Amino acid sequence: MARFVIRRLLTTIPMILIVVSATWVLIRMAPGNFYTGERVVNPAIERNIREKYGLNRPWYVQYGKMIGNIVKGDFGSSLRYEGQSVNEIISKTFPVSATIGILAYALALLLGGFAGIIAASRQNSRADYSSMTLAMFGISIPNFVLGPILVLFFSLSLYWFPPARWDGFPSRSMVLPVITLSAIYMAYIARLARSGMLEVLRSDYIRTAKAKGLSERAILIRHALRGGLLPVVSFTGPVLALLITGTVVVERIFALPGMGNYFINANLNRDEPLIIGIVAFSSMAILLFNLLVDVAYAFIDPRIRYS
Amino acid sequence: MKSFQTLRLCVIALMGTLSLSGCGVSSADSGFFGKTDPPATNILRYVSGDEPESLDPHISSGQPEGRIYMALYEGLTEYDPKTLAPIPAVAERWESNTELTEFTFYLRKNARWSNGDPITAQDFVYSLRRGLNPATASRTSYMAYAIVNAQGYNEGGVFAKDRTTGQFLMDGHLRKVFPGDDTARAKMPELAGKEIVPIKDEDVGVVAVDDYTVKYSLVNSAPYFVGMMPHQFFKLVPRKAIEQYGDARWTQPGNIITSGPFKLKEWIPYDRIVVERDPMYWDAANVKLDAISFYPMTENPTTMNLYKAGAIDASHNHTVPNSWIDLMETMKDYMDAPEMVNEYYQINTTKPPMNDARVRRAFSMAVDRVALAKYRHAKPLYAFVPEGVFAGYRAVHVATFDVEQSKKLLAEAGYRDAQGNFDPSKFPANEAEVTYNTSDSNRQVAEFLQAQWKQNLGVTIPIKNMEWKTFLATRAALDYKGLARSGWIGDYVDPYSYLSLFYTPRGDNGTGWWDPKYVAMLDDANRTLDPAARYEKLAKAETLLLESQAVLPLTVRSTSWMKKPYVKGMYPNPGTMHAWKFVYIERDPAKWDHGVPDMTPDKN
Repeated sequence: MARFVIRRLLTTIPMILIVVSATWVLIRMAPGNFYTGERVVNPAIERNIREKYGLNRPWYVQYGKMIGNIVKGDFGSSLRYEGQSVNEIISKTFPVSATIGILAYALALLLGGFAGIIAASRQNSRADYSSMTLAMFGISIPNFVLGPILVLFFSLSLYWFPPARWDGFPSRSMVLPVITLSAIYMAYIARLARSGMLEVLRSDYIRTAKAKGLSERAILIRHALRGGLLPVVSFTGPVLALLITGTVVVERIFALPGMGNYFINANLNRDEPLIIGIVAFSSMAILLFNLLVDVAYAFIDPRIRYS
Repeated sequence: MKSFQTLRLCVIALMGTLSLSGCGVSSADSGFFGKTDPPATNILRYVSGDEPESLDPHISSGQPEGRIYMALYEGLTEYDPKTLAPIPAVAERWESNTELTEFTFYLRKNARWSNGDPITAQDFVYSLRRGLNPATASRTSYMAYAIVNAQGYNEGGVFAKDRTTGQFLMDGHLRKVFPGDDTARAKMPELAGKEIVPIKDEDVGVVAVDDYTVKYSLVNSAPYFVGMMPHQFFKLVPRKAIEQYGDARWTQPGNIITSGPFKLKEWIPYDRIVVERDPMYWDAANVKLDAISFYPMTENPTTMNLYKAGAIDASHNHTVPNSWIDLMETMKDYMDAPEMVNEYYQINTTKPPMNDARVRRAFSMAVDRVALAKYRHAKPLYAFVPEGVFAGYRAVHVATFDVEQSKKLLAEAGYRDAQGNFDPSKFPANEAEVTYNTSDSNRQVAEFLQAQWKQNLGVTIPIKNMEWKTFLATRAALDYKGLARSGWIGDYVDPYSYLSLFYTPRGDNGTGWWDPKYVAMLDDANRTLDPAARYEKLAKAETLLLESQAVLPLTVRSTSWMKKPYVKGMYPNPGTMHAWKFVYIERDPAKWDHGVPDMTPDKN
């Protein structure tokens, strides 16, 4: 197991370098620069700017510097936001995105998982149909529709929660973004949990357990749950990585100071160090979470062994 | 990127519809949009637009930063809250020579930095030199190019000196400036055997006559010079903090030293910038707010939701989504003014068929601007300088809506049938695209133009949208065919801020049209001392520009923003720039604003 983890960790290094290099090339290919705006920059002023930020150096020097920075774990300074280092920006915005993401996922896991298990254990019952109908709605309604609807009811009619902005953790300002973000995952998890559980409930060892006269609850919790939730676990890794590294739409609707907002604007602004920094950070998160999922598999499913 | 834009549009459209449907209840009775309870504290909460790039006034160039700088930094003069005309700030008074080429400012003696140090004339000299220093790499340094040797210093230029006589080569009464680039200079025969002297910061035309008098020498007459002083480029920056912490770090909380009515208290990117009243400020006794929270936000429906819920007190310009305006116009807290921004399309005059002035004119005449203005909640614009913003300035309308005349011009230009009538099938419509940068609002205008030309001329001009930075690169390089969307925000309150775009063939001109006669007319106007006569001359130059048809003016937008009735001292001026020291929260409902506040200029 330890060897497996080490080997996987080592393969992440070239993968991150490939991702970062591809991003770097793509940024270079996109027209425009961080300093171009509605007003045309006079060539002399442009020269001053390029000199100041080292953009007039040969490409391999700039590339080398970028890779060097990443190896050192220092992503350099943002070009657009003068004086702010990318590490600082990530360390300020990541906690916001991570808080919203983790809470949303926890909520989704709790309610979605519960609904899925109930639906599976009472297949074709009213509970099954209603929770699956609800899940269908959750999947079909995008968060940029759900968010405003929630704001309309809870912020502008009932005045229960603020319609936007971030007041820190914990605060009432988190409620609507968390619900908005979790809805679709809650629905997915409910469906995944249901189908996973159904499959397991039909398997031989459950039938054996039933034949032995175990109670339904014991079968469900002690025997079926482990295998039934495997699909949910494999879903969790990549999704959680995406959620905690910034969710653009929800952060924009609710004006949250998270990483997603920065990432979108960094792209629009051609803010190279910031784009590279966030891409590298996010890919690390994704690779790490995938690894965690694979490790979790081994614990949940006794049939899986890594060597 | 594209899918993100689409998503954004969906969000805006949807939130627009939803919030509108829900807004009737609380606002219908009072006539205001949403809650009108003043905040418990004396702190103004203001949505300021994009996240500021920097708190260094020499670095960023945008309006959102400009508004925050007005709280933190002061310059020689400040914008009048109603008219944007220059009013005294650190300078108590000023005077100029009769040629308007030398301006002397007399500073008040009680002006102080936020650390308590006195503000002196040397601080203004330092600030200008630092802004022009090539190492600062300011994007707005062109603002100061009217000052002697400012451009030469900023561009790394050089003087040339005769080795024997020690005399500099002159251009009139000023030293002649040559490019800093050796290879460019090698081609100049007049420089053979001359000594090259780099232009240094002390060559820039600014001197501290004494501790409280600062004098600027200009290259040409510039009657608009004092009006430029409130611009962010001319704000005071602190030598002490910059030298101690460096260009990149001096603006961080804890390091920063400011000169304005407020000082920085807290800065959380993408969340808030909080400034609090600075007791060191010379006019602190008259600063009414305890603090201002600037919220950087760009989603207009979100801003409007916060406004309705009473979580903010006012917002920046264009925060009311277009589709809401019909309803919001009926609200007593809707603020509006003709904006100091023109919306136009620039025309690439170097490529056929648009290289023919008759064709350009014909296309301009085939657009019904009144209909466009109505659709856009704006005012039609037939000239280049925004109308209704500069009192006393009257532009000539060259191309008004006239379809028959338009067809005649196109027939004259060669697109005619055997009878000599205009024949749309002869016109190479695909060579005259309408290019714009992706946005809902720009698309509306482009589609409107396309529809007008189809309806009025029978020609279908293709429209093409581009991602913002791609669009900018294409437009600047004259790589577009036909027409490209454009707009210009005035840097100072004077028609020259617009007309000077075509002073050079490069830069923001972007049309390929340039006429030395036009330049001569502008120079002549600026040498004219009588303001009315000067405006007349500027208007004549503008007529020449409009006759060239290098631009197709469309509309002057409305500023469209919201302000709670209890926010006083804040006015819908043409730039939506507010001198924050005059703003206050009025707790007595009897004194609240019911509609746009009185805009009669104060006597200063």
